[in-house]
Amino acid sequence: MNQFLIALIAGVGTGSLYAMLGTGLVVAFRGSGVINLGHGAVAGYAAYVFNELRTSGELYLPWFDIIPEWGFLQTLRINNLPTRIHVFDFEMYIEKPPLVPTLLISIGVSVLLGLMMHLLVFRPLRNAPILGKVIGSVGVLLYLDSVIAVNFGGQNRSSSGFWIFKPDMEPVSNFLGLGGTIPRANFSMLAAAVVMGAFVFCLYRYTRFGIATRAADENEKGASLLGYSPQLIAGINWVLSSVLAGLAGIIFLHKTQPSLYATLVVGALGAALFGRLTSIPMTVLGGVIIGMMSGGGVSLANNDWWPNWLEIEGVRTFMPLLVIILVLYFQGDKLPIRGSISVGRQPNAPASNNVVVGTIFAMGFALILSNVFVSKWEAVLTTSILATLFMFSLTVIVGYLGQISLAQFSIAGFAAFMMIRFVGDGTLQRPDDYYVITGINMPTILGFVCAVVAGTLLGLLIGLPALRIRGVQLAVVTMSSVLAIEELLTKSRSLMGEGAASIQPTPSNPSWFGQYIGGFNKETFRTDYWKYSLFLVIITALVGVAVVNLRRGNTGRRFLAIRANERAAAAAGINVKNAKMLGFGISSAIASIAGIMLAYKIPAVQAENFAIFSGLGLLAFVYLGGITTGYGAVVGGLLVAGGMMPEFLGVHFGDVERGMINAVGAVGLILNAIVTGGEGVALLQSDALGKGPLALLRRNPDEDESSEADEDNATEGASV
Amino acid sequence: MSNILETSGLTVTFGGLNACDKVDLTVPKGKFVGLIGPNGAGKTTFIDAITGYVPTSAGSAIFNGEDIGELKPHERAQRGLVRTFQSLELFEDLSVKDNLLVAGYDTRWYSFLLDMIYMPRKDKEVEEQIEWALDIMGLNDVADAMPSDLSHGRRKLVGVARALAASPDLILLDEPAAGLDTAESQILGGHLREFLDHDMSVFLIDHDMGLVLSVCDYIYVLDFGKIIAQGTPQEIRESETVKKAYLGEEAGEIQAQAGERMTSLQHDQGGQDD
Ligand SMILES: Nc1ncnc2c1ncn2[C@@H]1O[C@H](COP(=O)(O)OP(=O)(O)O)[C@@H](O)[C@H]1O
Ligand SMILES: [Mg+2]
Repeated sequence: MNQFLIALIAGVGTGSLYAMLGTGLVVAFRGSGVINLGHGAVAGYAAYVFNELRTSGELYLPWFDIIPEWGFLQTLRINNLPTRIHVFDFEMYIEKPPLVPTLLISIGVSVLLGLMMHLLVFRPLRNAPILGKVIGSVGVLLYLDSVIAVNFGGQNRSSSGFWIFKPDMEPVSNFLGLGGTIPRANFSMLAAAVVMGAFVFCLYRYTRFGIATRAADENEKGASLLGYSPQLIAGINWVLSSVLAGLAGIIFLHKTQPSLYATLVVGALGAALFGRLTSIPMTVLGGVIIGMMSGGGVSLANNDWWPNWLEIEGVRTFMPLLVIILVLYFQGDKLPIRGSISVGRQPNAPASNNVVVGTIFAMGFALILSNVFVSKWEAVLTTSILATLFMFSLTVIVGYLGQISLAQFSIAGFAAFMMIRFVGDGTLQRPDDYYVITGINMPTILGFVCAVVAGTLLGLLIGLPALRIRGVQLAVVTMSSVLAIEELLTKSRSLMGEGAASIQPTPSNPSWFGQYIGGFNKETFRTDYWKYSLFLVIITALVGVAVVNLRRGNTGRRFLAIRANERAAAAAGINVKNAKMLGFGISSAIASIAGIMLAYKIPAVQAENFAIFSGLGLLAFVYLGGITTGYGAVVGGLLVAGGMMPEFLGVHFGDVERGMINAVGAVGLILNAIVTGGEGVALLQSDALGKGPLALLRRNPDEDESSEADEDNATEGASV
Repeated sequence: MSNILETSGLTVTFGGLNACDKVDLTVPKGKFVGLIGPNGAGKTTFIDAITGYVPTSAGSAIFNGEDIGELKPHERAQRGLVRTFQSLELFEDLSVKDNLLVAGYDTRWYSFLLDMIYMPRKDKEVEEQIEWALDIMGLNDVADAMPSDLSHGRRKLVGVARALAASPDLILLDEPAAGLDTAESQILGGHLREFLDHDMSVFLIDHDMGLVLSVCDYIYVLDFGKIIAQGTPQEIRESETVKKAYLGEEAGEIQAQAGERMTSLQHDQGGQDD
């Protein structure tokens, strides 16, 4: 019992991080009505900046050198975009740069990030529909995470924080007579969280700025009456939120890898929702509670009686999700989600007419490519087609139905692992495999079908909250379930077999109708087997045609009706709940097929293949291509990291390049949200063909200020 | 069973205020019933209550002989109780025709499979109903346009057409004539009674006294959530209570005359159509 209590108290450390990040989330929300999914990444970036300054004296600016090193650009002397400034000269390993200036510079970077988010992302998006705003914050998350990967390599840093937060201080023993030890830093972290919360609380309560923010929160006109422009208020709150994130990140340097902050935002989202996105004290409390629940849960999971299919790490990641679901369930519609009523226009979703011609053309093109290019190109081609196949699932759920699910790629991963489990026969697949795959030895096709069914069921489960909540809240829930799915299901060794937690070999001999259709070429030892390409092209074409046809028929019309207006959809006799479940089911089935096809291609899968940022990257690129159409998924597939377009431009594999491509995707994502309202490249062209390239500037002409902003950004978009 | 809709004691409360207060109201099958009352009287709330958009705190609603009190909004719509919205609520991303198609077709559990292989169900009756709805609301020329490209008045007509497309047994029209220009109100007013020939009963809320007096068989008057008068148009026109409570004597005269004009106008149009 005492041990359990100690575990609860030990969770306060992480809980304080949730509390601090949650406070910043609330600040940004109150200022602008946006739930910033990228808030954790902001903290991560500032923490890395601080750390890098302390260790090497270099200041890394929040962008990277996007100019490729092509010969002609170098002759033109266009070769480098400055990305870092050398700030401190000092003798490394012997002395350290002064603390206070370092801290001030890091805060300066946070301010810069806050301004960038406000001016470049959320201000231009303020009249966008909810989907646009959520996509904007996904863009921030993906961008900062990618830049962190590029600039700092995402390594663990822990040698440079403040001493009171260091873990190597003598722990507090026998706290409250419970016995055991508790890290001393937990107390200082809690104190920091409380101080931060109190500061923001007082700021809102007692200053003119705070009163104006609260007035703006209730009603945009309120702030104007007090003599403030709502956008000024929003801007200040963005900067404040970003600085709070930076401070939280720096304080926590010792506790976690800063690269993990981006996903720790899930706990912070739980905290902020616990505070109903308005109350700072409740947010702080919520964060601490979630932290304690995680600590306590892990401690329970260490017991003998704990079912061992419930992995410990899974319990930890499940707690924030649990709190989020409970809060959303009990507070339901009462949550003050300003702007949960969609304003602005959703991306247009026209029905395609020349489906057959388009499909034949696309298939033919793919097959020609797969014969002309050999070896590496075949693998690249299938990467793009796989991405397209997966993107069709997002076309259905996000494009047609308007439900923002960030969990679809995890469902793909789950289905891939399930497929291996279903067909696993307990034998070693390849001589140098580390694990055998165990399972129930189904024939390949049956295993495929069962895995798709399993993935679909999981998708339906994740879709359940969508029956009660919508918009950004759904994005929050699905994003939190990503980690829970990964840790509880995909990586669970008792569910998925021995290799699940590390590297799971795939069946070496998948054969449909007697044909080997694995991507692994047994002669060249590369993933370029032509029958796989053919099989993949056929499957993708079938799925694509089905998805496009869905839009032409009554089902698609009903989905779009729900996306436009749930009230009116019910009045038209549509059972909104069933239709949403249908959408989640179809989308998850497609995602499952994509995941399984990926597993057919490569010799082994890892949960990391389906990590959250890969999924967000795919969302970014399909959004860029056009989230509402089949063409959009095809274009998006060509653009992804490792796919046709980047390879064609000579950007090769590797984490750094992958990060850069995702960052470029993130920028494109945000620009696309601002400029085309999400209709994407594919539709832009057809629009441009029809009405001239300036047609897109006519969007929302009646929104006074926004059209100027749109034009600014359109020109920016043209230059990228 | 000669009444398509029957409410008794229907009460809706918003924070202590009775927006509808023990409303007893019947719509006989095949009849045209109107509900009038000043702004804020509770007319929209009444429609919201019988279509399931707000919870009722007392009373019952019988539709087609069935107590619909526990049904969800879409279930009521599926049973043929279809409404329009005062505030439009069109499907902005769908073309006008698609707006109607959504309402016209219902789905089975396997419909999505047929849709995927592009074998959508075509139902002659539904298609005809949709053609008729487009036709009668004068929307044929904009069937493929997006609602946002239309004038406010025509958007309202799309809302009515969408409800008609569902082949309702009882159509509930919430101020369909508000915001229409003269030509548009003539389209609407001139065709309202034709709805009755298509196997439906009509329940009309409107501000335009002239319109209501000219097309309805029977009229209820609502004020502060209570029915204060009911009767044929003739009786309502002459009712002192109504005049006092709602019309104000002079305005009443003018509007009543307007009503007569509207009636004659309708006759003219009818003549042209034949
Ligand atoms: N959702 C609601 N919450 C609280 N009060 C409401 C709500 N809807 C309507 N009301 C109130 O109920 C009364 C009747 O409104 P309504 O039915 O819209 O009137 P009408 O349609 O006759 O103009 C009004 O006083 C209005 O303010
Ligand atoms: Mg009304």
